[in-house]
Amino acid sequence: MSFAATGAAIQTRTLANGMQIIVWPDHNIPSVALFNWVHVGSRNEGTGTTGLAHFFEHMMFNGTAHRSQGEFDRLLEASGGSNNAYTSQDVTVYQDWFPRSTLELVFELESDRLANLAFEPKVVEKEREVVYSERRLRVEDSNPALLNEQVQATAFIAHPYRIPTIGWPSDIKAWTLGDLQNFYRTWYAPNNCTLVLVGDVEPAQVFALAEKYYGPIPRGPATQPVRTVEPEQTGERRLVIERSGQNPLVQMAWHAISADDPRAPALNLLQTILTQGDAARLHRLLVEERKLAVEVGSGWSEGFDPNIYSVYATLAEGASTSDFEQALNGELARLVDQGVTDTELARAKHQVAASFWRGVSTLDGKARLLGEYAVLHGDYRKLFTAPGAYERVSAAEVLAVARAVFKPEHRTVGVLLPRAADGH
Amino acid sequence: MVAVTILAAAGDGVAAVPAAPVSVDHVNVPVPAHERVTLPNGLRLILVPRHDIPLVAFNLLLRGGAQLDPPGRDGTAALAADLLTHGAGKRDAYAFADAVEGSGGNLDAAARGEFIQVQGQFLAQDSRVMLELLADAVLHPRFDDGEFEKLRARRIEELKAAKDSAPQSLLGNYGRARLFAGHPYGRPVGGSEQSLAQITRADVTGFYSAQAGADRATLVIAGDFEPARIRRDVAAIFGGWQRAQNPLPALAPTARVSGRRVLLVDSPGSTQTYFWLANVGVPRRFPQRAALNIANLAFGGSFASMLNQDLRVKAGLTYDASSRFTRGAVAGDFAITSFTQTDNTGRAVDLALATLGRLKHDGLDAAAIGSARNFLLGQYPLAFETPFDWAVALGDLDLYDLPESYIGHFGSDLVATDASAVRAVIDEAFPSPDNLDIVLIGDAARIREAAARFGPVTTIPLAAPNFSAR
Repeated sequence: MSFAATGAAIQTRTLANGMQIIVWPDHNIPSVALFNWVHVGSRNEGTGTTGLAHFFEHMMFNGTAHRSQGEFDRLLEASGGSNNAYTSQDVTVYQDWFPRSTLELVFELESDRLANLAFEPKVVEKEREVVYSERRLRVEDSNPALLNEQVQATAFIAHPYRIPTIGWPSDIKAWTLGDLQNFYRTWYAPNNCTLVLVGDVEPAQVFALAEKYYGPIPRGPATQPVRTVEPEQTGERRLVIERSGQNPLVQMAWHAISADDPRAPALNLLQTILTQGDAARLHRLLVEERKLAVEVGSGWSEGFDPNIYSVYATLAEGASTSDFEQALNGELARLVDQGVTDTELARAKHQVAASFWRGVSTLDGKARLLGEYAVLHGDYRKLFTAPGAYERVSAAEVLAVARAVFKPEHRTVGVLLPRAADGH
Repeated sequence: MVAVTILAAAGDGVAAVPAAPVSVDHVNVPVPAHERVTLPNGLRLILVPRHDIPLVAFNLLLRGGAQLDPPGRDGTAALAADLLTHGAGKRDAYAFADAVEGSGGNLDAAARGEFIQVQGQFLAQDSRVMLELLADAVLHPRFDDGEFEKLRARRIEELKAAKDSAPQSLLGNYGRARLFAGHPYGRPVGGSEQSLAQITRADVTGFYSAQAGADRATLVIAGDFEPARIRRDVAAIFGGWQRAQNPLPALAPTARVSGRRVLLVDSPGSTQTYFWLANVGVPRRFPQRAALNIANLAFGGSFASMLNQDLRVKAGLTYDASSRFTRGAVAGDFAITSFTQTDNTGRAVDLALATLGRLKHDGLDAAAIGSARNFLLGQYPLAFETPFDWAVALGDLDLYDLPESYIGHFGSDLVATDASAVRAVIDEAFPSPDNLDIVLIGDAARIREAAARFGPVTTIPLAAPNFSAR
């Protein structure tokens, strides 16, 4: 059976309150992955309330009008289910993995927290500390993450992609209960959610449960679109951080494209050509041949609005960041002049195809991809045309997207220079 | 008991749904049909044909690993494994990477404490190329001098970079160096900055030629292939692999420590303290494995576990608190890991010790045992979805000489585990809070006083090039 044919088993339903449900039956193992994609991320935040979308990812586990703090996890685990959640600049995704016998309980728990979340002041204060601990772990004790936060905030001056998803420290300390309630009412409504189920289920059974548990939740207000468009950058921006540590870091970023841009497959193939694997171009040149970096990577976040494409590198202790920058800029200049070779493009296409097959070999991977295409690319069916879209990309299209992205005047350069720790 | 609690709490809508699978047949994950062949040179081959997606996965395990590193040269096995894929047969490092990536495959080699593993996945149409590349890597590595120097330098820099970006990832290296001092389990698998600097190319080639051999290897291939053809190809390609020069030495047993002592790893300016509380646990072949999994899940293996509830949910002291057993041919470590804001270090460690004390004293009630059992029953099938999962799982069984029922009857073993078995495991496998090796990575000037409450303190700088105070 072809991949497109397996996708024919997918069924969708939109409830009267606007909630979209997508079901992909897969009976390989007696398990189910259910992902609720809430269409809110840090791009929907404003001054003073940065980090709120991520904070909700935490609060959604902290009790409802009917259930005390911790009960969500206790009930789900006692029925064989596990869960997690993540927040990005664009979306907040709640993930449950469970045996098929737990399906109704999961609907009950998920719909309850979408409709009846509790805001207990003491619980909020403790969770504030937990989130601050997460910020210390992920950002403040990590030089690459700290540099990335600064590059993102420098590359964007107007669009809310400048906001770090975990939030600025002063905002984490200062949100009010009113901010939380307002955010919940605005964004956590059925018409702002896409529910994806993959696994040992039948669509009719899922739709009946969806009607029963989500049907009674009223539609929320229409959400405000992000209106701000980042003005075109007209010259290089540069920032330097000096911080205790051992290895210099460089991150260069250019304004790029959005997830639904038709050039997205070409940019992903270019990313593969530049940094995916030991044969990739920038790895060969900067790590293996010229030994200017210990590690080099690159990528972009596929979102609703055009985000940045970053190349980031860890340098050896004492190595020169300007030598690295010069070599990287030279190679990118060569790229936009001469493009990529047919061999490089063919290799990248094989890598993308194999990675696609690995992605759709698990319930988790299917739920992730289905949600990404449904929410960020606008239609889940694009998942099934994606392999063909990648196959058709030409070397000329890769060159065109490289020329559109790697413009020196659209560049932000971040450098982290380590200084020896002060002894005690 | 548990089912009743859930039904009452979840309301009418859930009453029709049983909280846990009821039949023992249903709770077990069936091990897929597979064949086993041993080649005349001793190579053990396991074939698991599955045709649902057009991929073939492999997992080659070479017994030995970092436990055989020469004294003072920790990281030798890791460098040898790394170099297997950086030039082999007629291909230099670039040509090898190009051949793997050009067919959309992956092929990665890494050393572990007790073995070297070479794993990967290719499109089904490329299974012959896959076997040839794998055989080149394992039978004909070049250990090119330039590649050796580059990789060694890179691994040293990566250890430094980990200190700037993820100090918690090094807790185990510091902790094991002390807990297992003098035993191979105490050596950092990837080496230290100091030991890597000592290693020569001759150490690496000497290690590999002495330790690699067909009779030490198990190769599992799983996925979309025709067994007769793969069997023929493997015999042709791997048939000439020699046996290892010597028998594999047995590992000495490990011993628990008594009392408490603290290793303080000084990271000036760090905003929080990362901590590790450990003692020697149990080996891989520990017979009460279902009870052990239940007990550790309930104590520190999930979000609703005692540790995470006490430190994160109730106290707001951390983002994460957990515990795990590392189980090898002999007993590895049991460790509690968490982190907290610098000024809360004493409070968080106190709380972790108190939670461990509560487990040892009170044990687990029926609800906690039932919940952990159901969680494991519900999550277990998700670990066996893909051909790659089966290649890893069957290789692991072969390596530790475990029966298929280790996977296939795990569900019924969980169902059969009662409260007394769990109590016995808590008594036997979990350490007392009075007997722990403690590692704290944090700002010594601010936490030294708190650290001293937990035992005699030894301090080393995070920037030092090795993981022990010696």
